[in-house]
Parts: sequence; structure tokens; C-alpha cells
Amino acid sequence: MPYELILLEVEPPVGVITLNRPAVLNALSPAVIAEVTAALGELERDDSVRAVVLTGGPKVFAAGADIGDMAERGPVEQLARDQTGRWAGITAFTKPLIAAVNGYALGGGCEMALMCDLVIAGDSARFGQPEINLGIIAGAGGTQRWPRTAGKYVAMEVNLGGQPVAAQRAYQLGVVNKVVPAEMTIEAAKRVARQLATKPPVALRLAKEAVNLALELPLQQGLLAERKNFYFLFATEDQKEGMHAFLEKRRAQFQGR
Amino acid sequence: MAEQPEERHVTLEREAGVAWIRFNRPEKLNPIGVLARQQLDAALKEVERDESVRCVVLIGSGRGFSAGADVREMGSAEGGMRSSEDVGRVLREQYAPMLQRIRSMPKPVICGLNGVAAGIGASFAMACDIRIAADDAYFSEAFVGIGLAPDGGATWMLPRFVGRGKALEMFFTGKPLAAADAERLGLVNRVVPKAEVESSCRELATALAAGATKAMAAGKRAVNFAETASFEEALEFEAWMQEAQASSEDFLEGVRAFLEKRKPEFSGR
Repeated sequence: MPYELILLEVEPPVGVITLNRPAVLNALSPAVIAEVTAALGELERDDSVRAVVLTGGPKVFAAGADIGDMAERGPVEQLARDQTGRWAGITAFTKPLIAAVNGYALGGGCEMALMCDLVIAGDSARFGQPEINLGIIAGAGGTQRWPRTAGKYVAMEVNLGGQPVAAQRAYQLGVVNKVVPAEMTIEAAKRVARQLATKPPVALRLAKEAVNLALELPLQQGLLAERKNFYFLFATEDQKEGMHAFLEKRRAQFQGR
Repeated sequence: MAEQPEERHVTLEREAGVAWIRFNRPEKLNPIGVLARQQLDAALKEVERDESVRCVVLIGSGRGFSAGADVREMGSAEGGMRSSEDVGRVLREQYAPMLQRIRSMPKPVICGLNGVAAGIGASFAMACDIRIAADDAYFSEAFVGIGLAPDGGATWMLPRFVGRGKALEMFFTGKPLAAADAERLGLVNRVVPKAEVESSCRELATALAAGATKAMAAGKRAVNFAETASFEEALEFEAWMQEAQASSEDFLEGVRAFLEKRKPEFSGR
């Protein structure tokens, strides 16, 4: 499908989604989310794609929502738009999703980065939830994913104070995996994606699912879910290939079966 | 004050790829007050943005570099520091952004230490990348003399140059550290006769401005990164930095010139 607000490139085994409204700092409108979700749906079905990079390009990841559009809205209208409910498509994506963040990732932009599986940040990156300065709060997971990632006190600072966190500090807090020079962020994320693309796809999917369940479930249930995924993988061809290759001291060729 | 826009406590001039930022109250050894802060901030922002500027010199006019904060003004209403909270506000909102801008400026910043650098003046000198000092120049962490603690990043920078013991001695006594000693300790890069500070700065700045300034900026950025990173993280950041640099025009030109056995002509791109 043709996209107007994003760019979708498939360079097998990697897909790259680029938010493409630099004039408005990639503000996240419902239409943008719809296109991101549609693109992820396409990449989900495309067997040549094994990992995906989500980026805002060289200058800015995404700086929040369209405030002009929101200022006079009422709660029922806001509810009816289900603005944040639409984001479920991002977390439903089953392949590794890597955020490549340069410049501001603010509000919804920050929440979008926090929904990804790994975050590669340029040294110019800034992460924050400035919604508080507008009389509202984060609405797409900012108050929930920050404490699960960086702990309660950092989450309070970010959500109550509204000040952005710089790349190096975000790295120290465990919110980003790696800080690289900003001109190399997208390339670094693509390289991580290509590296993950060499792994067995079914195992990747079940590992991602299990890690995400750890943030939802009590430990015993989480361990149970993990164990079921673990047993299930013994039914895959890739498990046989992986173990035989290991024993034969050669590189495994995974098929995703 | 600001009502007299013609008054310049800090001047900015451009000269062949080099921007000269000069503290300009020589009769008082260049103290830093409200106007100097406003004008220095504007000048730093301007030279950071201006791509035709490939090297910056920060220097004093007259006998001194900067005698530090304008203490006379600090006590007055127009100094904007009537309460202790005001002191913190000026440090956080005015000095800190300027000092950070110098240290993150994507081009070399040379300090022409033409004389005394005291208090916040010493901090500005230390924030620069390279220091060329007059033979009679000296550093003084003068804060303690008026009952203040060091500021302007001095507690972070000075121990890194001279070691903890020497730094704390300077903070406790406020006694001057002479240029020759500063050179021996690595705090200044070299000492020259007083009359030659400006020409030495010009010579170095002109040479740097004609060099691979993008590579210099990359090196400065990697040094800044390394200051808060592990060795392993620094190695990794360097590798990425070098990948970026390896696709620059200056690298192509550098290699081509090397193979053709001629002097490279760098553009800073």
C-alpha cells in the first residue's frame, strides 16, 4: 500500500520504517500511527523480513502529537478518537523491532521508542514526557513503561518534571542499548537488525513474547510461559539445525520453521 | 547595562575562518558581568552555527584574560544576584550552557591566556580545548577569597588537569598558579612571551581552520563521550565515529593527496 506520512523500505532481511514529516518534527497523528501499524502488518507477513528498524530519520525521532489539533477537544471526543488505543499494532508486532533515535523522542515519540524491543540512540537523542507542561499526562504508556524500564523514581522525574533525559543518561538508566554518533544511528540499528536476522525466527518470536510477558505476569506464570515456549521450540526444524550445526562446528542456516 | 547597546564587554570578529571572541573591559582586567554574559552567550551561539567559522579563539584584551565574576556588580541590583538563589540561577541558566557550548562546540576552541584567569575566568579558560599562555599569566581559583566555593565546572576540570591534591590546594588557598607551573602540570599547552600570545593563537588557529576540522570535531566529540564511558564503550563509539569520518570529503581528499604526494586541501566537510 502507498504511504504518505512514512517511508517503508525493505532491504531483506531488514525492513525500515521512517517517520517522514520533518516539517512538524514527525508529530504523531492518528494517521501516522495508522500507517506505521499498516506497514508493520505488511512486514509481519513478509517472510523475507526478519527484523525491523523504526526511525524518524537523521534529525528528530518524533516530538509528540499535534497540539493545535488537540487544544479544544473534550474527553468524549478524545475517547472516540481512541488515539492511543491504535498503538496496539506496534506492540503486537512479533519480529524484533529496533528504534533508531536521533534528536527528540518526546511524548508519543518517547512512548513509541519505549514500545520497541531495542533502542539505538544517537548522541544527540533526548527522551522525555513533557505532557505535564500542557496540563495532561502521557497517554500511550509513558507512565507505565518508564517505571518498568528505569524504575519508579526516574519515572516520576520524567513524568512529573517533564524534562528530557539525554542519550548518555538514558543509556546509564538502561532505557537505550547503545549510544552512537548521531550520523551513524540508523546504520547501527540496521546492523543490529541484520545481526538478529541471522537468528532462528521462531525462537526470536517466542523469546520476545516471553520477555514481554515478564513485564505483565507474576514470576511463576512467567516461568511457566517461558517453559512452554522452550518446549515448543523442540518441535521446530531450526532447533534441529541449530543443534546439529553446533555439534558439527558449522554455521546454522535457519529457515523459520 | 543593556540600555546602552553600543557598549561591548565581549566582541566578536571573524578573520579567515577564525572567530575571535574577546573579553573587552581591559581597564578592569575583563570582569564578567551581566552584559559580558549576554554578549558571550550570543557570540558562542553565533560561531557554533556559522559553518564558515572553523576555529574559535577566546582571548582577553589588555593585560588580563579575565579576572572572573564582576564582584562589584554581584552585590548590586543590576547584577541580578541579590539572593543566594540568584547566584545558583546565574550558574545554572547562564554560565553552565556557555561552558557546555564551548566543550561541545564542533570546532576547536583556543584560549589565548594573555594574563590573569581568575575564578569563573579560569573556568572559561579550562573549558577551551587548547591554552596558549603569556609568560606572566596565571590561574587563580580566587573563590575562597570572598568565601565562595569553586564553580563554572572548576571542580570537574581542574583535578583532571593537575590532579586532586594540586587542585584542592588551589581551591583552599586561592594562590596563583604561574604559567610555567601550569605548563608543567599540563594545564596550558605552551607559554609564550606576553607580546606573542595573540600571534601564537593566530598562527595555530589559522592552521587548524585550514585543516580537517570535521575530523577535529569528531575527535572532540569522542573525547567528550569517553569522559563518561568505559574503555570498551569508548572503543565502540570511536569505531562508529571513524565510520562516519571515513565517508567525509576530507578523508577522500586526505587519501587522494597522500597518494598524489601533495598537501591536502581540507574543506571541513
